[in-house]
Amino acid sequence: MAVRAQFENSNEVGVFARLTNSYAVVAVGASENFYSVFEAELQDIIPICHATIAGTRIVGRLTVGNKNGLLVPTTTTDQELQHLRNTLPDTVKIQRIEERLSALGNVICCNDHVAIVHPDLERETEEIIADTLGVEVFRQTVADNVLTGSYMALSNAGGIVHPKTSIRDQDELSSLLQVPLVAGSVNRGSPVVGAGMVVNDWLAVTGLDTTATELSVIESVFRLGEMAAPGAGGGPQKESIVESFY
Amino acid sequence: MAASDSRIEELLKRPLYVYDLPQELLATLTAKNANEAVAEQTPESTPQDLELAAQESAIATSTSCSLCNVAYRNVEEQRSHVRSDQHRYNLKAQLRGNTPLDEAQFIKAIGELDESISGSESSESEEEEAEGDADTTLTALLKRQAKLAEPNEEATTVKGGTAKQPLFWLSSSGIPSNKSLGVYRAIFSDVEQDEPGHLVETLRRKQLAPVKARTNNAQAQQSPSDSSPHMFMCMIGGGHFAAMLVSLAPELHRKQGGVEERQARVIAHKTFHRYTTRRKQGGSQSASDASRGAAHSAGSSLRRYNEAALEKDVRDLLADWKEMIDTAELLFVRATGKTNKRILFEKYDNHVLKQNDPRLRGFPFNTRRATQGELMRCFKELTRIKVSEIDEAALAAAAAAEAKKKEDSKPSTPRPQPQKPKLSKEEEEALLHTSQIQALIRRSKVPALMSYISNNSIPSSFTFTPADSPQNFRCPTPLHLAANSNAPAVVAALLTKAGADPTSINNEGRTPFELAGDRPTRDAFRVSRHGLGESKWDWNAAKVPSAVSKADADSRAERERRDAEEEESKRRKADLERLKKEDAEREAHQRTSKGGRTLGATVEKTAAEKREEETRGMTPEMRMRLERERRARAAEERFRRMQGN
Repeated sequence: MAVRAQFENSNEVGVFARLTNSYAVVAVGASENFYSVFEAELQDIIPICHATIAGTRIVGRLTVGNKNGLLVPTTTTDQELQHLRNTLPDTVKIQRIEERLSALGNVICCNDHVAIVHPDLERETEEIIADTLGVEVFRQTVADNVLTGSYMALSNAGGIVHPKTSIRDQDELSSLLQVPLVAGSVNRGSPVVGAGMVVNDWLAVTGLDTTATELSVIESVFRLGEMAAPGAGGGPQKESIVESFY
Repeated sequence: MAASDSRIEELLKRPLYVYDLPQELLATLTAKNANEAVAEQTPESTPQDLELAAQESAIATSTSCSLCNVAYRNVEEQRSHVRSDQHRYNLKAQLRGNTPLDEAQFIKAIGELDESISGSESSESEEEEAEGDADTTLTALLKRQAKLAEPNEEATTVKGGTAKQPLFWLSSSGIPSNKSLGVYRAIFSDVEQDEPGHLVETLRRKQLAPVKARTNNAQAQQSPSDSSPHMFMCMIGGGHFAAMLVSLAPELHRKQGGVEERQARVIAHKTFHRYTTRRKQGGSQSASDASRGAAHSAGSSLRRYNEAALEKDVRDLLADWKEMIDTAELLFVRATGKTNKRILFEKYDNHVLKQNDPRLRGFPFNTRRATQGELMRCFKELTRIKVSEIDEAALAAAAAAEAKKKEDSKPSTPRPQPQKPKLSKEEEEALLHTSQIQALIRRSKVPALMSYISNNSIPSSFTFTPADSPQNFRCPTPLHLAANSNAPAVVAALLTKAGADPTSINNEGRTPFELAGDRPTRDAFRVSRHGLGESKWDWNAAKVPSAVSKADADSRAERERRDAEEEESKRRKADLERLKKEDAEREAHQRTSKGGRTLGATVEKTAAEKREEETRGMTPEMRMRLERERRARAAEERFRRMQGN
């Protein structure tokens, strides 16, 4: 399902959280409202980690991960790394990357099978991505923009790209990734879809400003209406989705 | 013959692979004198046919890449295209506003310059190729490479002629005599290295026929039981590990347009990176633990874990590759430091690499961080024939010039030497005296000064040398210096015993007396005037006032001393009195003004009060414990007294 949330009056949910199929990382904020949204949806399904990266709250932009692993930039402190290691499941590999482009969330966009990365990323980083996240790595741009992580939101079921991506580029990317893609926006017209939302295979969290149309596009392309949540039937979920529209 | 010569020359322009040399060159090869040092010339552009990095060769078909303007049949092909260097290059070109190149153009460009397009290697070059079309970019890069190549050449020429050359040098009748071909010593086995006479034969024996490439898709998964000659290369350091098994037989790829291209065939490769080196401090965690004890920070435990994990990873990999490593022709290993060596060579269960393996080699050149790209570069470097061009005439000229310079410099150095002594004979002595006398006067060593002057028979008219130096401007004679440094004893001794002239003037036109800074020094002059008599010097010219006898001077000094003492005692007495009076006043004032007890005034406290004060601010438990202890002490005391009674 898709829910709306706000992190301390900011709609850029993807900046302050990282959501995958096996864990979620949420920034430590002044209030717990943002965390509560995740907790309400994910409790008892996957672990949610309260964390900072390099002392900042922009965890979603600095990290990248999928169900297999989590990559953090070289600025991450040893304590933070230890905390993540303690909180996340043992099957999740955590790796610190020495890379000039340290906002990994902005330069890497991935699901559990493929990753689209910034063309200037180091070859070694590419190898680490492939090894740690277990993905095939492609260097590509999204709508002529190198920040693939910012302008693309991807799950195993589908993806949203920058609203000005040409049809041809969408088709190419779609065939490369083997998932359906649409060009769309979040947060009332923001083109920064990667930073504006987080998504996994059964949940999307977008900014509070997101319009109903945007939300319906998101639900349809990520197939969130199909109620594929692990360990949950269709019935009760459907009710809650209706609730969440109010 | 001439035709074949020119053909060989043509061949030399292309990079030559040691294991696949052209037949005509191989036939004419001869070994050069091993001891002869040959300057190495690094080829300016690196090989296009050995451009091997994990590059996929793309086959044109139908789907699409709009950027590179090509279409493919299926996703696999498209994906492999996206991973290719051409696509990467085009991505960057597009971002820079350059026109993307199609495959043919790209291959041509690559041939012109060896620039790996991968992010890690090209990052430095990007700044330089910010604008301009592809052509200017290429020329700029070529220029840069030329610049890089020059210092390299310098270094090798300078250090040539040491014990063991890293390269064997060969010549061929087909190439001009000033050209030599270099092959790394390390690619021959120990036995082969020992007999350089058979070098060419060995090289001929080592030639391998290139292998036809299989289909592109099959290329990725090659059978590990490949029995063709291969070598194993690995590097480990700073938490990075890279290893590669590479076949020596080159592989032929048919590129678009029917051009056959040689590539090295990597049988297997793997890199690891673990966080093991300490941030900012550097060095491995285990080294730090060994030297200053185990730290207990989160980082140190991470690093300790990672060191162990890296060791395990590496050993697992080596075990996986054991079969291939055992059959490898050569093992190139770079492992600096104890920890790294231990990971590879320690005797653990089923250890693969042995320290005493005759196939084991280090890299005979500098290597960078352990990465796959670096291993590939090292492989290319090791297996490429170096071409060195030496202009014999120019060399001879240079040697002659060198010798001439040496000869020139020889007579030129002795020339100034005789000049100096000729001047100095006396001056040197004077300089020595100057420094000695000045030192003695500054430290007021009168007896030492006198004995020095008499021993060296220094004339009374002695002046310091060099006369024009700043420190001798004000004090050109010993007497001036003595007066200026307020040394009455020295002044007296110089005047009376050494017969120094008090009328001499310094460059400011002053006599020594005028430089005297205090009364005792001035008195020393006057006493000397008295002792030496009016007729000895023109005392008025020396500006010394009327003579006083020693006794007079002493008595006056005594008187002055007494006066001063009296003054001091008087002052002290007055002060004491004043203090006493002030104390009394304060006392009186206090007595009249106060009614009650002033704050902080000491009042005798009862024992109970003391105890309460002690226990203030304590927790009830602590208070109870204290109380218990106190009672126990009291009881002990009681017992002791009872026993004592």
